[in-house]
Amino acid sequence: MKKNILGILGLFIFIFIFTAYYSEPFLSAYNMQNLIKWSSLYAIMGIGVAFVIITGGIDLSIGSVIGLVASLMALAIKKGWDPNFAVVMLLGLSLGIGLIHGLLITKVKLQPFVVTLCGLLVYRGISRWMTDNQTMQYPGTDKLDSLFSGKVLMGSFGLPAPLFFLIVVAILAAIFLNRTIWGRYLFALGNNEDGARYSGIETDRLKIVAYVICSFLAGLSGLLFAYELDSVQPAQTGEFYELYAIAAAVLGGCSLRGGQGTILGVIIAAAVIRLLRNSINLLGISTHLEYAIIGMVILCGVAADEIIKRVMARRRTAQVTTARK
Amino acid sequence: MIKKLTMMAAAAAVFAAGCGKPSDGDGATEGGGAKPKHKIAYVTNGIDPFWDLCAAGVKQAENELGGVECEIHFPPKGLADQKSILETLLTKGIKGIAVSPIDADGQTKFLNEVASETVLITHDADAPKSNRQVYVGTDNYKAGRALGQLVKEAIPDGGEVMIFVGRLEQLNARQRRQGVIDELLDRPHQVLGQVKFDEVAKVFKGDKYTVLDTRTDNFVMDTAKSNAEDAITKHKDLACMVGLFAYNPPRCLAAIREAGKLGQIKVCGFDEDDDLLQAIKDGHAQGTISQQPWKYGYNSVKVLKAILDGDTSVIPANKFIDVGFKVVTSKNIEAFWSEKRKMAALGAKKD
Amino acid sequence: MDAQPSLLKVTAIGKQFPGVQALHNVDLTLNRGEVLSLVGENGAGKSTMMKILAGVHTPDAGTIELDGKPIRANSVREAQAHGIALIHQELNLAGNLDIAANIFLGNEPHKAGFIDRKDIHAQASKHLKRVGLAFPTDTLVADLTIGHQQLVEIAKALSVDARIIIMDEPTSSLAQKETENLFKVVNDLRSQGISIIYISHRLGEVIELSDRVSVLRDGENAGELAREEISHDAMVKLMVGRDLSQFYQRNATEPGEVVIEANRLRTSAHPNRELSFSVRQGEIVGIAGLVGAGRTELLQTLFGITPAVGGTLKLDGNKILPRRPLEAIIAGIALAPEDRKQHGLVSEMSVRENSSLPRLRVDQKAGMIDFSAETNVANEAVEKMDIKTPHLEQVIQYLSGGNQQKVVLGKWLAMNPRLLLLDEPTRGIDVGSKQEIYKLMEELAASGVAILFVSSEMEEVLGMADRVLVMHEGAITGELDRNQLSEETIMQLATDNKAAA
Repeated sequence: MKKNILGILGLFIFIFIFTAYYSEPFLSAYNMQNLIKWSSLYAIMGIGVAFVIITGGIDLSIGSVIGLVASLMALAIKKGWDPNFAVVMLLGLSLGIGLIHGLLITKVKLQPFVVTLCGLLVYRGISRWMTDNQTMQYPGTDKLDSLFSGKVLMGSFGLPAPLFFLIVVAILAAIFLNRTIWGRYLFALGNNEDGARYSGIETDRLKIVAYVICSFLAGLSGLLFAYELDSVQPAQTGEFYELYAIAAAVLGGCSLRGGQGTILGVIIAAAVIRLLRNSINLLGISTHLEYAIIGMVILCGVAADEIIKRVMARRRTAQVTTARK
Repeated sequence: MIKKLTMMAAAAAVFAAGCGKPSDGDGATEGGGAKPKHKIAYVTNGIDPFWDLCAAGVKQAENELGGVECEIHFPPKGLADQKSILETLLTKGIKGIAVSPIDADGQTKFLNEVASETVLITHDADAPKSNRQVYVGTDNYKAGRALGQLVKEAIPDGGEVMIFVGRLEQLNARQRRQGVIDELLDRPHQVLGQVKFDEVAKVFKGDKYTVLDTRTDNFVMDTAKSNAEDAITKHKDLACMVGLFAYNPPRCLAAIREAGKLGQIKVCGFDEDDDLLQAIKDGHAQGTISQQPWKYGYNSVKVLKAILDGDTSVIPANKFIDVGFKVVTSKNIEAFWSEKRKMAALGAKKD
Repeated sequence: MDAQPSLLKVTAIGKQFPGVQALHNVDLTLNRGEVLSLVGENGAGKSTMMKILAGVHTPDAGTIELDGKPIRANSVREAQAHGIALIHQELNLAGNLDIAANIFLGNEPHKAGFIDRKDIHAQASKHLKRVGLAFPTDTLVADLTIGHQQLVEIAKALSVDARIIIMDEPTSSLAQKETENLFKVVNDLRSQGISIIYISHRLGEVIELSDRVSVLRDGENAGELAREEISHDAMVKLMVGRDLSQFYQRNATEPGEVVIEANRLRTSAHPNRELSFSVRQGEIVGIAGLVGAGRTELLQTLFGITPAVGGTLKLDGNKILPRRPLEAIIAGIALAPEDRKQHGLVSEMSVRENSSLPRLRVDQKAGMIDFSAETNVANEAVEKMDIKTPHLEQVIQYLSGGNQQKVVLGKWLAMNPRLLLLDEPTRGIDVGSKQEIYKLMEELAASGVAILFVSSEMEEVLGMADRVLVMHEGAITGELDRNQLSEETIMQLATDNKAAA
């Protein structure tokens, strides 16, 4: 199931070299730290949604889950809860949200798009209602602050905390997808759900697991974003992030038809998206063009990927026919 | 969005059912034949601690002046939300509205509709082409020049200055930015209302000061922060960062702190975010221009009440009530901060 | 009749599909105001013939003459223009539109591009009357019963002035009352001079309706029966009767203990039918029957895809009731489904991944895939089944049908099943692979596996089965031992002619 990630890697290297050539400070330690930090944050969300996309589903509620977790964290601190307890509870809440999504999709047989679109609205609404829509901060939680947004110094280079979260998440996700039977089942059901069921795979249970993983990683991202920004606006924090996450997953080689995807691809794709933003700022391109550029690059990336795949498939068919002759 | 609208419609329905009658009939509300309170509304342009402080002023005026009842609305997501809030208020038959228009030019027609049905004033940002009765605000151009002054104090020897702002569609943002630029380039003063604006992407080189291109973030916090980070990366000689919206200076400070350049890159700001005030106290930021937002709230209510009471003498000929601004530096930080704390507590208090 | 030229004359039609000669040298004539029935076994070529007449397929050889003039129908529209309409087994109506809209779908009378509503409804009700339907023409089609929908479909054919209406298994989903109603309409149409080609597995209906019967066998004309010659036995005799000597003949061994025993089992597809049967160790039992007899549904029930709605099932004497495939698999049941692409394989995965899919769970190490065990499983499958693939990583969709089926069988052999269910095990497979699969079935039986297979190919049933269960409309209409087996008896039971069996 290993998919070619050379295309996206090439794109990353191209933009990287291009920016480094035209912007001298691009390679500075400070900028690299920032790039790593933001890429890690986006990649964690992207990995989450990749699981769902591999099953052939979609999760549009990621941004709202991020907003909800960030808001409730601030609220919990304000109400004087033990912050560590709050973190555990909120991660638990994220798992619960994923479970509900999964159950609605597999047992009630609603479409993932509908379920998570409603989730998007509901969680955003709850965030705003619970917090009275007030901007809030995270005072008096220095330990969590350094856990979620601190830096580990390597000489003068500070590795941002989200990177370590990403490393752990990525390794676990890659092991799950490529080394465990459930990962294999996930690919199989994404490719052909009936075929997987006829082979004795409990497709419903696995789909639920995918949605649980996705929401859990969204919740974790919520905490990371919260402490990175030290501030939460219940109406805005995390808005549209699901689209960046989905973009990263798709650009990273996940097919929305299901059954395909690699963790490494998603990470590189998330980095490409952040790199583009960084590059737009450093090269002094108008901020108004940012969305247009990101959109075009993703489109080109996905199109190139599709073409490469088709050429390879044709070559393979040709091989088989000659082999048969 | 849908949820929000339905909730609001529901709220409006409940309100109409519950309060529709008493407000019409004299003396039905308070006992003893007291005059009914004017029902008015205070509408902001978004959600921000800044607006909580304004709300404090609203409440202060409500308590001190009496005879008015003011509801406060924070449109969470831009123009569309602000419009639907205003529409709901009209549906409710509100007597007076103070609004901070998000896009003055674009909203003119709609604001005129509002003004035809109720007493409309603007605060914080003006819509000069509309039929609003009066504008309660600051001369943002003048405030911008004062901010420019602060920059000059911060880096008397000159250097590169970069401006950060949420969006430049708003008149007040453009006026502030122009004030800063004009001051740093020692251009002559312009008159509010006739200010000519410079291009966004252009770099302005003066004798001492260079004003780099302005970056916008559309109120997205991570963009605000990464814009500041990227500026530090790109401009090695950056001397001063100027944040025009309340959340900008704290993001600049965070980026500077993480780059290990505290004190090296100066920060001048607008408004009174706690992080910025702390930085002023600690000497990491030069100062800030405070519009004393509670004065906006207070004055808006006061003016609306006067107009509703029939006293139009509060409206000056140029239709502009300047509540002024305060320059906050390390010299007066303590006094200012304690006042702000007092007002913040009042603003956060639930009715 | 002979003096007048036939309305439709089909001569020496041939049609080839990849790997199959579907029709060879087939002749057919149809007279005005005649009901001609076309009968034959599954795969005899009836549907292909009809599709050629209706313009769905174009023939490779032969001519079609209408009123003595040769025609060529390259599309359904062209066929319609010649007055030929096909009423499919699955109806082609849009349920969300009303009767009038359906009748004129794609043929709307219009003025300058605008649909003329009044005209449409007036004309529709005229056509509706001809098929004896009295519904308002603005009734939604979805609100009608299947029988009434079928009449709407016929009305639709009449609306384009069809002179020949072809009905493909029209009664397969109709209730008794609706069938009688349909017959009345068919008789009316005949008296109006419209010709009908009637295809049905239900020989009783054929006897009742037909003026003439034409029988196809293996894509060729098998014979024709005039009105007075039509009888159940005569038709079956023509439908079967072929030389079986060249086909695989199994050497049966003495069966062992009972492996699976169904007692009054009821499937959700036919909840009113009770099925009782058993299969023993080393036994190969075939299930014969016509399309729609409920054979596939029975296998799916045994495998837990559509759980039973009643009755009991015992495997090796232990009661089981699989509600999901996994439960059936754990109990020792395997199913090679009829639709390989949809159900049997994960087509974008490799040979290795497909052949190891059910086995992964068994070989896992605390959830982790045992990759060496997986490779062994895959290698073993390739070797044992003689799967022709360049390497284990070959994506399965690029293999031939026969090799794909071998992978399906290989993945189940790795599970060492007690009961192997095969649904049309050799469909769409070349002759060589077929023989290999037969050989494998025999080997498995010899090793003690109980095999239950569904097949629509008579020679396969006759050649491989130790015992045959014949199904008809969800019920088992007969059970035949090897020495009772003949194509004729099976056909009689499959068409539910109890007297003959």
